Amino acid sequence: MFDLVPASFWAIIPGQVPEPIPSEFPWLSLSILFPIGGSLLVPFFPDEGDGKQVRWYALAIALVTFLITVGAYLKGYDPSQSGLQLSERIEWLPDLGLTWSVGADGLSMPLILLTSFITALAVLAAWPVSFKPKLFFFLILAMDGGQIAVFAVQDMLLFFLAWELELLPVYLLLAIWGGKKRQYAATKFIIYTAGSSLFILLAGLAMGFFGGGPPNFEFTHLANQNFGTGFQLLCYGGLLIAFGVKLPIVPLHTWLPDAHGEATAPVHMLLAGILLKMGGYALLRFNAQLLPAAHAQFAPLLIVLGVVNIIYAALTSFAQRNLKRKIAYSSISHMGFVLIGIGSFSSLGTSGAMLQMISHGLIGASLFFLVGATYDRTHTLQLNEMGGVGQKMRIMFALWTVCSLASLALPGMSGFVSELMVFAGLVTDEVYTLPFRIVIAGLAAIGVILTPIYLLSMLREIFFGKENIDLLAKRELVDAEPREIYIIGSLLVPIIGIGLYPRIMTETYTASIDGLVARDKVAIERIVNISESDSSNGKLSIPKSSVPKLNIYNSTS
Amino acid sequence: MLSPAEIAWLIPLLPLLGALASGLGLIGFNQGMNRLKKPVAIILLTCVGASAVLSFAVLFEQISNPHSVQHLFVWASAGDFTLPMGYVVDPLGSVMLALVTTIALLVMIYSHGYMAHDKGYVRFFTYLALFSSSMLGLIISPNLLEIYVFWELVGMCSYLLVGFWYDRDGAAHAAQKAFVVNRVGDFGLLLGILGLFWATGTFDFNGIALGLSDAISSGNVPEWAALVLCFLVFLGPMAKSAQFPLHVWLPDAMEGPTPISALIHAATMVAAGVFLVARLEPLYSQFPLINLLIAIFGTITCFLGASIALTQMDLKKGLAYSTVSQLGYMMLAMGCGAPIAGMFHLVTHAFFKAMLFLGSGSVIHAMEEVVGHEPVLAQDMRLMGGLRKKMPITSLTFLVGCVAISGIPPLAGFWSKDEILGEAFNSFPILWVVGFMTAGMTAFYMFRLYFLTFEGEFRGDNKELQMSLLASAGQEKDDEDFHGSGTIHESSWSMTTPLIVLAVPSVFIGFLGTPWNSSFAKLLNLEEASEMASKFSWAGFLPLACASVLISCAGISLAYFAYYSRKLDLTSLVVKKVPSINSFFSNKWYLDEINEKLFVRGSRKLAREVLEVDAKVVDGVVNLTGLLTLGSGEGLKYFETGRAQFYALIIFGGVIALVALFGVLGT
Repeated sequence: MFDLVPASFWAIIPGQVPEPIPSEFPWLSLSILFPIGGSLLVPFFPDEGDGKQVRWYALAIALVTFLITVGAYLKGYDPSQSGLQLSERIEWLPDLGLTWSVGADGLSMPLILLTSFITALAVLAAWPVSFKPKLFFFLILAMDGGQIAVFAVQDMLLFFLAWELELLPVYLLLAIWGGKKRQYAATKFIIYTAGSSLFILLAGLAMGFFGGGPPNFEFTHLANQNFGTGFQLLCYGGLLIAFGVKLPIVPLHTWLPDAHGEATAPVHMLLAGILLKMGGYALLRFNAQLLPAAHAQFAPLLIVLGVVNIIYAALTSFAQRNLKRKIAYSSISHMGFVLIGIGSFSSLGTSGAMLQMISHGLIGASLFFLVGATYDRTHTLQLNEMGGVGQKMRIMFALWTVCSLASLALPGMSGFVSELMVFAGLVTDEVYTLPFRIVIAGLAAIGVILTPIYLLSMLREIFFGKENIDLLAKRELVDAEPREIYIIGSLLVPIIGIGLYPRIMTETYTASIDGLVARDKVAIERIVNISESDSSNGKLSIPKSSVPKLNIYNSTS
Repeated sequence: MLSPAEIAWLIPLLPLLGALASGLGLIGFNQGMNRLKKPVAIILLTCVGASAVLSFAVLFEQISNPHSVQHLFVWASAGDFTLPMGYVVDPLGSVMLALVTTIALLVMIYSHGYMAHDKGYVRFFTYLALFSSSMLGLIISPNLLEIYVFWELVGMCSYLLVGFWYDRDGAAHAAQKAFVVNRVGDFGLLLGILGLFWATGTFDFNGIALGLSDAISSGNVPEWAALVLCFLVFLGPMAKSAQFPLHVWLPDAMEGPTPISALIHAATMVAAGVFLVARLEPLYSQFPLINLLIAIFGTITCFLGASIALTQMDLKKGLAYSTVSQLGYMMLAMGCGAPIAGMFHLVTHAFFKAMLFLGSGSVIHAMEEVVGHEPVLAQDMRLMGGLRKKMPITSLTFLVGCVAISGIPPLAGFWSKDEILGEAFNSFPILWVVGFMTAGMTAFYMFRLYFLTFEGEFRGDNKELQMSLLASAGQEKDDEDFHGSGTIHESSWSMTTPLIVLAVPSVFIGFLGTPWNSSFAKLLNLEEASEMASKFSWAGFLPLACASVLISCAGISLAYFAYYSRKLDLTSLVVKKVPSINSFFSNKWYLDEINEKLFVRGSRKLAREVLEVDAKVVDGVVNLTGLLTLGSGEGLKYFETGRAQFYALIIFGGVIALVALFGVLGT
């Protein structure tokens, strides 16, 4: 039935999501099911107990998964298409409206690649794990499949399932291998994310049952539904809470420093590298793509929240004395740019948000890995107890410096490009009025000053200064080993690659982002027109439409 | 054969490749690499040397035929927007290319001697090559965005190099301060660039200038907005070129090794701000108000630097404040709408200030033999004196530098500074008065440095003085560091050769910019040069020139009587009578204190308060809401015992309940 209407026909109509292009080979199903299948075999893998054998098996599975996703990208993915590709549909439980529907567009594909890439490195980072190694690698591999599923599935119910399933491994990884307060952190994590994800289910069910008839939860179906504005606003609000916890958006962020503060390095890499991106991805996929009318109402709020994220978390990070928590807050600060980009209604800004997710996935993972590696040596995370270890750990110092500079958006590395795109997208965006843009750009740019303050202070307190006798007496205080250099090196290749020539990454999703922004622009034009006619009638038909009345939107566009 | 301009992209690329190779080597094979001092130095010198050769080829090509070569490619794009990158070679850029490569090359040769016994020799050379590459990239950038990219990269190199001796607390703080203060400027620069992009849709220098005047005349952009944007952009040069009040990082940056102070913090990177203002001349020339502001900031900086330099006892800090002051002159020229004069002073200043800094490095190197590797002692002029006999080459070249910077004809500084003062006299006579006074102060403090360091008796053996200096710096005598058995001697060939080479342009390069026949102006702007030459009259030139020579001579004589023949006792004459002014200058106008109290402590306090709020209020409230929605605290108790199964059960139950609920509501 897809053949009747060519995808290109749909692509030219803004506001319509094109029909998916089916895949010839089940790339995505394979990349989801292979690591899960592999993880199920872990208990049967012979191992002497301290993980020396099973880690090779886990690495092999993770690498093959990475290769499968790369294969999917190279063989089945066409960056010039804006719609879904690599699509597979199998009726699963038709009565419930549940369909095994996977696919990838520009929003999914980079994040799928990121997931399998970071997971493979996380397995390598987990090399020293010797406590219950089988369970550990089982959970990591299961999470790999689950997270790819989150980005690949194209069905609301399936998405909810994947979203929830991926929580369990994280919970266990935190609760069993975490630090001293691991129980508290794991519980807080699960309550926050699970509690908030009920909103996904509610909104999903509401959208699926919308309009009567048999329930249909597929994204392409939902995208072309004509939801009323009030309905959209309700769903949007719920989803915003759910995804805001994940991203996280201040003030829903407090689970993150606790969870990050207790996690071990590999789990940390996954948390920062992939889990936070689920929030940003879902905001783009659901809030911006499926609910454009509500997005037009909520977008200024997203931008304001983004600025709050940037400044608030940067200040908190500056005051933090615990290294892990410091980096955790810096992640929150960086996610602010994602929010601003999503709310910007411009291709440039939204591309920037997407790139910021990928870039932070890489940079965050590298910083958190380094935190773990440093903790293995110093056995403390308190900055007061560190200092002066630069002489003894020179390579470690160099790696820390490079990754910190990447994180503070030094040009030549990916963070700079993404932040620049968000900024440029925001200021050139004619949807918002000039004063609004000036204030937001000015405030967000304060982050440009705050980020180096806390990151460079941190470097100074760890490595600079007179040699710390207490620390140097520790036998474990050795320089970076080849495995660690390799992990950071692998992360730096894409970080610097994107920084030098961003199009290697942006080209993979530009078409999809353009489609999405075109869709949202139609909605915003409708809103502006309505509010103009409203103001002439002197009554409001949409609740909360005080937003355009604040003159945040340009009525001339 | 390819013309040199066509392969100008190789100029920054070659040092980058060298730096990459040795940097990767350092990370991969740290110990082995650190032993390969000579091969690394030779390879990196070859890279920078090749760039220098190419730069001079480009320069000569431009001299014979001034034109602009530009190549662009699309670097990033989204929607309708494209961000181009590439390179441009024009007369202004080619002058800077030749200047930077020359000084970088000489500083590298010098560093071979200066850093010979340092553990971080290879790392130092790697950073040097990296810096050269970034700086050269900045010069050939064809648009503001690319300038910003390299602007940050040179800032990063500066951070790495100031913090090179990272076991010193002072270096650690100075490096961070340098980066953060520069980021304050970059904050403005970034916003300005973005704003100009909004207003004109381009990052190109000429495109912005044309687009902005069009946008103003068509009413799309209000005039005040254009002024604000221009000023925001100027914040970048203000930080990078150490203009008041963002100059505070530069004197602290002297914690870095001295070759760095010469290359980055005197000759090249700090001049990048002046260079950017010169590049933006088509833009700024439209707004007299902005030009006036630039001139005022330049004049304040110029006076401030000189006044603080009067009281400095640290040799390098004295030179640093002198650099601040000279950068102020350059900005003053830019503000007077005379970029050629400003650029000319940039060039002459680069040569003699690099030479002065390298000379001070040579002195410090010698002093370390006597007082140990302690900057508080090795750089303090109260412990120096009488070095002329022991270090003839260093002292002679230092003297040449002092004469040059004081503006005594026919040395380089006279021509360039006089041109600036002449422009200021025509544009803003009040600012000229300040600049003129400062010229006298310059001569005084430079010769004060010279006499204290090289003349009189050697005071380095005075142990009591050493102890009191250390005590006032809040440090204790470290016996391990101290091996005062050595004697003062002239530095090795690799350190003296660059000094001698730099002395040549310091003396002669001024003749390229004589006001009646300036080949420098002809290269940069032929029309303006002929206009300048036609306007020139001895009657206009001689009085001003004589006045500035006279005030310089007055400054030199004052220094002579106060510090050489000791016939004048400035302590009783000035310091005792007006102690407030003296302490105002010697405390650096209290700017560091204000900065510390207001910004550093203020931001720390704010951050701590936000953290408190975060931990107590936000966390508490959200937790509470979460708990309430969950229904009861009973559930939490189960979670805290770690029963994940229980959670799964709740989710499962919740799903069932909701499905049921929707089932009922749906039908």
